[in-house]
Amino acid sequence: MNPPNTPDDGRRPTAGAGAAPPIVEAAGLTKVFPMPAGPVVALRGVSLRDDSGESIAITGPSGCGKSTLLHLLGCVDTPTEGSLAIEGRDASRLSDFERSRIRLTKIGFVFQRFFLLPMLTAWENVELPQSEAGAPKTARRARTRELLDYVGLADRAGHKPSQLSGGEMQRVAIARALANRPLLLLADEPTGELDEATGEQIVELFDRVNRDGTTLVVVTHNPILANRARRVLPMRSGRLIMESPASSIVAREEGA
Amino acid sequence: MTPLGLAWRSLSREPVHAALGVCGVAAVGALLFNMLLLSRGLLVSFKDLLDSVGFDVRVMASESLPTLGPPVEHATEAARAIRALPEVEEVVPMRIGRAFTASAGRPEIAIILVGCEPRGRGAWRIMSGRNLSRGQKDGGGLPPVEARAPEIVVSKNLAKALGLEPGSRLRLRAAVDGGASAIPAVEFRVMGIGEFAFESTEEATAVTTLSALRLARGGTDEDEADLILVASRKKHGAAAAVAAIQGLRPDLHAFSNEQLVSRFSRTDFSYFRQISFVLSSITLFFAFLLVATLLTVSVNQRFGEVAALRALGFSRRRIVTDLFCESLLLVGAGGILSLPIGAVLARWLDTILRTMPGLPVRLHFFVFEPRVFMLHATLLAFTGLLAAAYPVYLAARLPIAATLRQEVVS
Repeated sequence: MNPPNTPDDGRRPTAGAGAAPPIVEAAGLTKVFPMPAGPVVALRGVSLRDDSGESIAITGPSGCGKSTLLHLLGCVDTPTEGSLAIEGRDASRLSDFERSRIRLTKIGFVFQRFFLLPMLTAWENVELPQSEAGAPKTARRARTRELLDYVGLADRAGHKPSQLSGGEMQRVAIARALANRPLLLLADEPTGELDEATGEQIVELFDRVNRDGTTLVVVTHNPILANRARRVLPMRSGRLIMESPASSIVAREEGA
Repeated sequence: MTPLGLAWRSLSREPVHAALGVCGVAAVGALLFNMLLLSRGLLVSFKDLLDSVGFDVRVMASESLPTLGPPVEHATEAARAIRALPEVEEVVPMRIGRAFTASAGRPEIAIILVGCEPRGRGAWRIMSGRNLSRGQKDGGGLPPVEARAPEIVVSKNLAKALGLEPGSRLRLRAAVDGGASAIPAVEFRVMGIGEFAFESTEEATAVTTLSALRLARGGTDEDEADLILVASRKKHGAAAAVAAIQGLRPDLHAFSNEQLVSRFSRTDFSYFRQISFVLSSITLFFAFLLVATLLTVSVNQRFGEVAALRALGFSRRRIVTDLFCESLLLVGAGGILSLPIGAVLARWLDTILRTMPGLPVRLHFFVFEPRVFMLHATLLAFTGLLAAAYPVYLAARLPIAATLRQEVVS
């Protein structure tokens, strides 16, 4: 079975192979949400460097800032303080359109609730981001076929989400996230809506995606998924509380 | 997948919802179509009516309508002078009076009796028989005493009422000041049955020569005309003919058909335009409310999807385009459906309105013209875009991260 990122995809070299900047480099990320009862600090000076090919699991109790960190890394939100660079480019200097373009071509998202478009088939859901990225029709077809085959749903290509199980929907969502050969795959509680057995299938799939060259950052409560990651970063109250010296991922808490 | 394709798929996911929206737009669009037809229908129809007679300039003694103002005096001389103008091709003076039928054993029928110099064209079209003889000469001064019964062309209404046909005899007694008179009745020979452009369903009309009309009026009529019909030469046009006539006879009032239509548009027909404007605005407002509500509800239900698409890299512009396309599809489908509905409704309403007394049979209130289709499409498209503005604003300003968080919590 073909990997999601084939050699002709122009991907960057893995960590240590050259002078390429890290995929994501965050420094002192702070996020404050203004609330009627007073500001809520969701992230407190988090710094993180993520090189190519790594897999990170961010764990912690609900409300500790895991998803907020993921959203900042994925450029779907902006930090109140701190800086974020995607492949060396300062994200704060990018326009909304440029940020969209980075999300489209360099970052893949997998959501807890799948968010497949219900009126489209599995095939069309996977093809849609490629179409938005301007991929030619023949290339889109080949890539969609390859991805559905990769996630084991080649025979369900014509099915709509309502005709798929939860695990199948999440596999389609993973195929969709990989459609434009992203450098970084972000997943927010990808097994949160699935039963244990189905969740394990998704864990296996993520494992394979990472082995095949895609950098992975997963926010999860699932210990099986977390344990498969090369590094686990627990969070508490908006801070990363552990740093793994053996990893190429350097996570530190500012001022800790 | 193109924005239009995705919009179509988005609408088709809730087919009943979309169908109701399209039907609503179709109903509103049909009313809008009718109002647009009504706003100019009378004017277009009136212009057609004026043009159908074959004369593009009308000369009167005052700005009043014929018979409501003073007549043109020394009409023969005036017609001769106008005819000599290089801008003018043909001139026909016309006298319009009233008369009563005086057939033995039949009730009197009040008719409009027109005296007109028989020329190549006239305000009537021969349906059967033939037209007035061009040999019957009109001239100033006293009318000749005709050796035999003068010729007359009667309208279909009159022919039907009296059972007339070409060759029949018709006795008429001219009215004085619109009422009965003691003038002796004159017998006419019916030469043909004609269709009169300005005749209403309840009117009866007959046309004879100016000299015969004078004869019917007891031979006392002056050389007058209520109206002088003028046909301009094509290479000069009506405007040039009007200017030339005004230069020649500043005491007369010459109007091109366009000027008459414009005058009616400002005065008599302006009610229809105003009513049409008000009702069009209201129908457009309803269309706006309908589409805006449908799309706003639809977008509110899809916040999670929109946020996910944005997170996947769909630009704000793409989301906006998708929603505008959804709106245009709703309005477009409804708009297309509204045309046949509107056409049927227009015919029905036209039939009702044309039963109003005194209206020429050929006058219509609802007239189809290409510009109405264009205006209808433009107004609906504009309304569709405007109606999409708020839901588009909601989707475009959607905070991606907060919405994704909200979706998980909910």
